[in-house]
Amino acid sequence: MTVEPHRLALQRAPAARETRHRVATWLRANMVLLLIVPTLVFLGCFLVAPYLNMLVMSFRNPSTTSVFAPGYTVANYGKALTDPYYLGVLAQTIEFGIVTTAICATIGYPVAYHLARTRSRFKGLLYVGILSPLLVGVVVRCYGWIILLANNGLINNGVKKLGLFPHGLMLMYNAFGVGVGLVHVFLPFMILPILSSIQSIDPALEEAAQSLGASRTRVMLRVVIPLSLPGIQAGSILVFVLTISAYVIPILLGALKIKIMPTLVIQLLIDAFLWPFGAALAFILAASGAAVVYIFIRVTGRLMKGLT
Amino acid sequence: MTMRAVKLRTAAGRALFLGFVAAAYCFLLLPLVIVVLASFNAGELLTFPPQGFSLRWYTHFFNSKPFMDSLFLSLRLAATAMIISTLLGTGAALYVVRFAGKWRDRLRLLIVAPLLLPEILSAIALLFFFYSIGLGKTVGALVVGHVLITLPFVFLAVSSVLYNFDTSLEEAARSLGANRFTTFRRVTLPIIKPGVISGGLLAFIVSFDLFAVSLLLKGIGMETLPIQLFDYVAWDFDPTAAAVSTVSIVITLIIVMLMEKTVGLRSLRF
Repeated sequence: MTVEPHRLALQRAPAARETRHRVATWLRANMVLLLIVPTLVFLGCFLVAPYLNMLVMSFRNPSTTSVFAPGYTVANYGKALTDPYYLGVLAQTIEFGIVTTAICATIGYPVAYHLARTRSRFKGLLYVGILSPLLVGVVVRCYGWIILLANNGLINNGVKKLGLFPHGLMLMYNAFGVGVGLVHVFLPFMILPILSSIQSIDPALEEAAQSLGASRTRVMLRVVIPLSLPGIQAGSILVFVLTISAYVIPILLGALKIKIMPTLVIQLLIDAFLWPFGAALAFILAASGAAVVYIFIRVTGRLMKGLT
Repeated sequence: MTMRAVKLRTAAGRALFLGFVAAAYCFLLLPLVIVVLASFNAGELLTFPPQGFSLRWYTHFFNSKPFMDSLFLSLRLAATAMIISTLLGTGAALYVVRFAGKWRDRLRLLIVAPLLLPEILSAIALLFFFYSIGLGKTVGALVVGHVLITLPFVFLAVSSVLYNFDTSLEEAARSLGANRFTTFRRVTLPIIKPGVISGGLLAFIVSFDLFAVSLLLKGIGMETLPIQLFDYVAWDFDPTAAAVSTVSIVITLIIVMLMEKTVGLRSLRF
């Protein structure tokens, strides 16, 4: 009687075969893990680790000869939170964020409403009109505003030629120029979420309200706007967060005359090499931004109660 | 109020509304139009009326070594980031939507985190990190930064397609004898293709325009096009920058048209 070779092997090393079999089944069952593991490794190395490292950096001792000295301290946070200069810059940053968000909502809402309800055959083109500025680099868009707003730019040229303001207008290197740039660059981020929330409102609701005698204004205020609050909320958070961390726009249109946190932090990191202090300031900005967003969500959440 | 007055008021309100909307579109598109016009203008500065048509700023651009080097660096960087992000993002989306189970929401949040965190903060974190592991100011660091920012776009585009995916199609293929790999290749992949393409192309555009990450992570001689343009615009006003901008707008436009042709812009969902 002959014994088949693999039977023999089975008898000889049952434990080893058992393990190999178990590993093989586990692998086959968990092959799909191969889909996610590369991404997890990548994000672990280049997202989680760097943020933890930055948190540690913000507690390191400053040094004049190297980027940091041995030992840990909370003095970086203490300095940032007590010095009126840094608090002033922080306040101005938050103010820019809130004002830009409010202006974007005011301009963006009518545009989103129009696009959601229009039956024009140019609807696709209008959609591209909103999307395309988003896809063009922020430096290019700022450059467009520089051509328009500079002291010898298009608008000032025209104004002088018409003899309106012989000395020209100061349209750039001030809060106005930076504001125009911020609103322009972030407006699409307000329009798109509002657009999708209005599109999900049944137009029959508006017709019903109107046929029951409500005026257009009343329909807007009592039906459409309350139902699209989730879109306004999402858009506002996006615009606010993007504004308080904007770097290119304040530099190109404000030329360091407008002091806000991102430009200050980069200056400290790149020119002054104050890494621990810069890291602490960056975290304070992030925490303040998160606090504003949290309050905003709580307030708007109360307004949206009973909506869903 | 008479009926007539009411109608007049409604018409006036409607005209006001449409006028406002039209003004907003003008505001959105004005700087882009101005940049393109300035690039074709013969004069040193864009004045009104324009001083005639000229291509001299384009000649200036194409003869400028720094600008051309930056252009090719940006194109190569965007292509590399696009390929890596598409591979990582597509796999991650497949896993998160189909197999993650109770981990789905947590993983989703982790993968889109680079989009929710301010770009400047992530850039600073990466700068410190690469410096501390001794890889600061290398091309590798630049590529990693670009992949980190573009990955969520691919992930979101692919997973939005997967959520609307009828899994019975796969079951049918399996029950007809196809193995897992064949099912994936012949059924799953063709269905998620629009998401993969639009996500990948979006990743290319985002990387091509990325600024803060490049500014902090670049080494010497690694000026991407947006950085080169930024440096130029901060000091010079001559319309070479307009020619550079127009070329970069055209490149973006080509990608957008490619997207529209293959999968349709409507498949872009945020």
